[in-house]
Amino acid sequence: MKLFLFLICTLFSLVRSQGNTLVLLDNQVIRETHSIFFKSLQERGYNLSFKIADDSSLVLSKYGEYLYENLIIFAPAVEEFGGTLNVDTITQFVDDGGNVLVAGNSGTGDVLRELASECGFEVDEEGAFVIDHLNYDVNDEGQHTKLVITPDNLIDAPVIVGSRKDVKPLLYQGTGILADPENPLVLPLLSAESTAYSYIPEQAIKEYPHAVGRDTVLIAGLQARNNARVVFSGSLSFFSDEFFTAPVEKAQGGVKSDVSGNRDVAFAISQWVFKEHGQLRVRSVKHSRVGEEKPPSAYTIMEDVIYKIEIDIFEDGEWKPFSADDIQLEFVRIDPFVRTNLQKKGKQYEARFKIPDVYGVYQFKVDYDRVGYTRIYNTTQVSVRPLQHTQYERFINCAYPYYAGAFSMMGGLFLFSFVFLHLKEDEVKKSKGD
Amino acid sequence: MVQAGSKKSQITRINSKTGINSLIIFVVLLLAWIAGFSSRLFAVIRFESIIHEFDPWFNYRATAYMVKHGFYNFLNWFDERAWYPLGRIVGGTVYPGLMITSGSIHYVLHLLNINVHIRDICVFLAPIFSGLTAISTYFLTKELWSAGAGLFAACFIAIVPGYISRSVAGSYDNEGIAIFALQFTYFLWIKSVKTGSVFWAVAAALSYFYMVSAWGGYVFIINLIPLHVFVLLLMGRFSNRLFTSYTTFYILGLICSMQIPFVGFQPIRTSEHMAASGVFALLFAVATLKYLQSILSKSEFKSLVIFGGLVSAGIVFLTVVGLTYAGYVAPWSGRFYSLWDTGYAKIHIPIIASVSEHQPTTWFSFFFDLHILVATFPAGLWYCIKNVNDERVFVILYALSAVYFAGVMVRLMLTLTPVVCILSGVAFSGLLELFLREDDTPRNEDSEDEDQSPPNSRRLYDKAVAGRVPKMKHEQNKESDGIGPNIRSIVTVVIMLLLMLFAVHCTWVTSNAYSSPSIVLASYSSDGSRQILDDFREAYFWLSQNTADDARVMSWWDYGYQIAGMANRTTLVDNNTWNNSHIALVGKAMSSNETAAYEIMTALDVDYVLVIFGGVIGYSGDDINKFLWMVRIAEGEHPKDIRESDYFTEHGEFRVDAEGAPTLLNSLMYKLSYYRFGELKLDYRTPAGFDRTRNAVIGNKDFQLTYLEEAYTTEHWLVRIYRVKKPDEFNRPRIPVANRVVKSQNFVSKKSSKRKKGTIKNKPVIVKGKRLSTKQV
Repeated sequence: MKLFLFLICTLFSLVRSQGNTLVLLDNQVIRETHSIFFKSLQERGYNLSFKIADDSSLVLSKYGEYLYENLIIFAPAVEEFGGTLNVDTITQFVDDGGNVLVAGNSGTGDVLRELASECGFEVDEEGAFVIDHLNYDVNDEGQHTKLVITPDNLIDAPVIVGSRKDVKPLLYQGTGILADPENPLVLPLLSAESTAYSYIPEQAIKEYPHAVGRDTVLIAGLQARNNARVVFSGSLSFFSDEFFTAPVEKAQGGVKSDVSGNRDVAFAISQWVFKEHGQLRVRSVKHSRVGEEKPPSAYTIMEDVIYKIEIDIFEDGEWKPFSADDIQLEFVRIDPFVRTNLQKKGKQYEARFKIPDVYGVYQFKVDYDRVGYTRIYNTTQVSVRPLQHTQYERFINCAYPYYAGAFSMMGGLFLFSFVFLHLKEDEVKKSKGD
Repeated sequence: MVQAGSKKSQITRINSKTGINSLIIFVVLLLAWIAGFSSRLFAVIRFESIIHEFDPWFNYRATAYMVKHGFYNFLNWFDERAWYPLGRIVGGTVYPGLMITSGSIHYVLHLLNINVHIRDICVFLAPIFSGLTAISTYFLTKELWSAGAGLFAACFIAIVPGYISRSVAGSYDNEGIAIFALQFTYFLWIKSVKTGSVFWAVAAALSYFYMVSAWGGYVFIINLIPLHVFVLLLMGRFSNRLFTSYTTFYILGLICSMQIPFVGFQPIRTSEHMAASGVFALLFAVATLKYLQSILSKSEFKSLVIFGGLVSAGIVFLTVVGLTYAGYVAPWSGRFYSLWDTGYAKIHIPIIASVSEHQPTTWFSFFFDLHILVATFPAGLWYCIKNVNDERVFVILYALSAVYFAGVMVRLMLTLTPVVCILSGVAFSGLLELFLREDDTPRNEDSEDEDQSPPNSRRLYDKAVAGRVPKMKHEQNKESDGIGPNIRSIVTVVIMLLLMLFAVHCTWVTSNAYSSPSIVLASYSSDGSRQILDDFREAYFWLSQNTADDARVMSWWDYGYQIAGMANRTTLVDNNTWNNSHIALVGKAMSSNETAAYEIMTALDVDYVLVIFGGVIGYSGDDINKFLWMVRIAEGEHPKDIRESDYFTEHGEFRVDAEGAPTLLNSLMYKLSYYRFGELKLDYRTPAGFDRTRNAVIGNKDFQLTYLEEAYTTEHWLVRIYRVKKPDEFNRPRIPVANRVVKSQNFVSKKSSKRKKGTIKNKPVIVKGKRLSTKQV
């Protein structure tokens, strides 16, 4: 019986380890056309529940608890989700930490546009494709929409898309995404070549396209401030079996490959968006005076202080020590008074510094924000007090003349009082004589 | 009135027997103490034993800390909950006399196994000390004039509203004990000038030390006593007694005062204290000259005085100027300038001008605080000028300077009050002596100088004075006793009536004006029943129960001490307004719009914002009425971002209604005060959103807060607390509809409560009996 329970537990824990995932589809056909992608997810331990996007029984949460950790929407044509799902519930899902992967195409429905706008990017208008008259595939059907994208256009973040050097050319067919370049949270995971633009292929170009050149984002990512991750691809076929296996050859010549790099990039992106990669956490923070173990109730100015922090990264299903050499510590009172690099010592990072000669309430602040990684923002508040009245120097060198003056004065007074007492009678006699 | 009656009997019988005299003096002083104590208890009886207002809350908190942690920990106390994130060194920035006084009372009582809570000691400290003030006033007046005048003065100061205003039960502030220290120091100083003994001078210095430890007003003493000495020198009244007492007092007082951490090196480094050392040097110069005079011939001496005097005066002046420029001596501080130019603070230091007690005094408040005394006090002054001697020069200077300062600042009414009582005591005693004399056995005219004071020292002293200056009492001696009995009795009755009116007035003022704790408000409804508005404590209690222990609360500085004292939460600014730029930062946050304010608030890690809003109950001391000061203080530090003129209408009015300036209507303070107020309809006669304090319908009714959310509003809306949202609550970079490049059509939902199915474009639909086709949308 115990063994049985244990088995069940391990089974559950295995399933839980990668999380329940809801997959919303336009139709069941997509499940077949994208089978390689879904299969790889299932192999990695995800528990996929496939649903048609207008299914009237769709729910994300029950009794305030989310049934899923991740959401995949491969339903570009959906105009309105079924059941209780709508843009609000999905954004709430993101705000509560859920991860979302969305793929659209040129006919992306309003509900997905709305969802995209809630996450900081916009999908180009209906019917628009990303067109590039120079970088299209030989198998293109004449509209120059099946593009060959060189891996240089991937974002320079190995943790999200893998190493750019090893990736083969990519195939892309779909609509363009506009991202606000000012917004630091939105990441252009894949952008188009400089010769591309986004427009409706059948129409003559009358107005300036919404997205031109490298501003045309093909796959956009968002890591929200609560570290929920959202990826929005303008192309559903990017993830399809067809593109995964197709050979790539640029029509204009130059780039050629037996198989596209889509598969590798899609897998890497799915690993990032579902937090298999780049997830950091702070395990522990310690600070104390140098040579002590426990933190004091308050530091005093000019003391030497040691700060230790353990940072973990989630890799292969478990938390391991994270190693990097660019983590900084700030000692802040409105402005940073000290900014220093944290040195890795064994499992933990460590910094030693001298507290400045200014009292107040300070914060140890580690703010580590790197593309693709969870943002680490850890503050520990400590008070730094001025010297106590017993901690000042008692005898100062330059004051010795004054000490000498004071003591000689006391001695002099002592002597004087003797003299005074001795001479007093004479004085009295004198005054009497007067 | 009790003491008025006993006074009368005292005056009549004072010259019979010493035993009866001292009994009467004892009884009168005891009654004065009791009357003074009990008339200060209105606040406790009406409300409860509670600490009042703002500063007392800090004093109480500091005292409680000292009692709990001991004196040395108090001295080294670094308060990280105040002035976040700067912190405050409490031990080095307070006058610890108050805390030490009540702490030692607490200690002694506990040694005697009398378990009194420290709060009760704090509440009743000021009333108890008012009795000590009365006694020291008696001694001072006795030294200056006569015991009869002293008893009058003691009774006056026990109940005079000008002093009660700062010493009712619960008003646990420095002034409560400082006035006692002030009077006592003056008494000892007069005593030492009269006797010329080192003992009394040392006692004066020690009392001065207590005063320094208790109140910043010690500067008044350290300028008035040198002024006294200086004027005596000018009058040619130099004596060895003066030399001994001043030199002893000055040196000991200087060394003692420098032991207070907050005072530190100020006595030798700031201009406010330079007069004392200047007079010290001058006294030595005069003494030297006197000595030389006895050696040198007349012509030699004359040229030496002229030459040497000019040179030494020039050297002293140049030294002071040079030291000031070199930075060794700090120039006059801003608060000091504002004593000479009442408009100075308003232009240069808005933070000083923003305090209502720093405003110039109105004529009304002179009468209100002193009543009949304000009329009799010039008479007493005249008596003193007529019969001037060394110590009366002092009280004349005291009176003149105190009158001036009381005219400059309402707050300094407090230093005027004791001297007014002394001189009125002199005046009444003089009057009664004149009109009640027929009851006594006829005596010589010069009675008031002889019979009430110790005869031997008195005569000696008079001789010494007479030897130096011509006696100025000759005019008084001519006064004849030709007043009829009717006039005597009428005048006596009138005086009694006046005194009774005075007592009635004092009681009335104390009960109506000065006995409100101001953290609990009382209002009277039309049927006369009393309603207690306890919103402040409600809000502070909410803060202490519902927020994290280290939550940081931003409010205007007035409420800093109360938040720290009652809610025990971290504040950004408080009533110890030492850092103007920090206050200006809070003022800027309050006067900016929400977005700009949010940046400041996140930089300062603010968790909650607390505002006082009186629009619902018509409470006029709320934050909107103080708002212009926030703007002015912020403008002083950030003139590019905040301009006072933006907050006025084109006609220069400060209005909160629809015609108000848009900057004002969008400022954070406005929004926090009036958030959802537009939905509130107070009664049937007024429209929704009617502000009772400013009698206007608010101009910006319907708005939402982006960066803050309402956390708590008290019963009468007096205190409103908002929570500042954290940056991670703005989780996603949402693109607002207006900013979107690609406009989408409005999609009309087809879902209903029954039909939960969504919609998919171009979905193949299966219709029975037909072939598969695509549905066109």
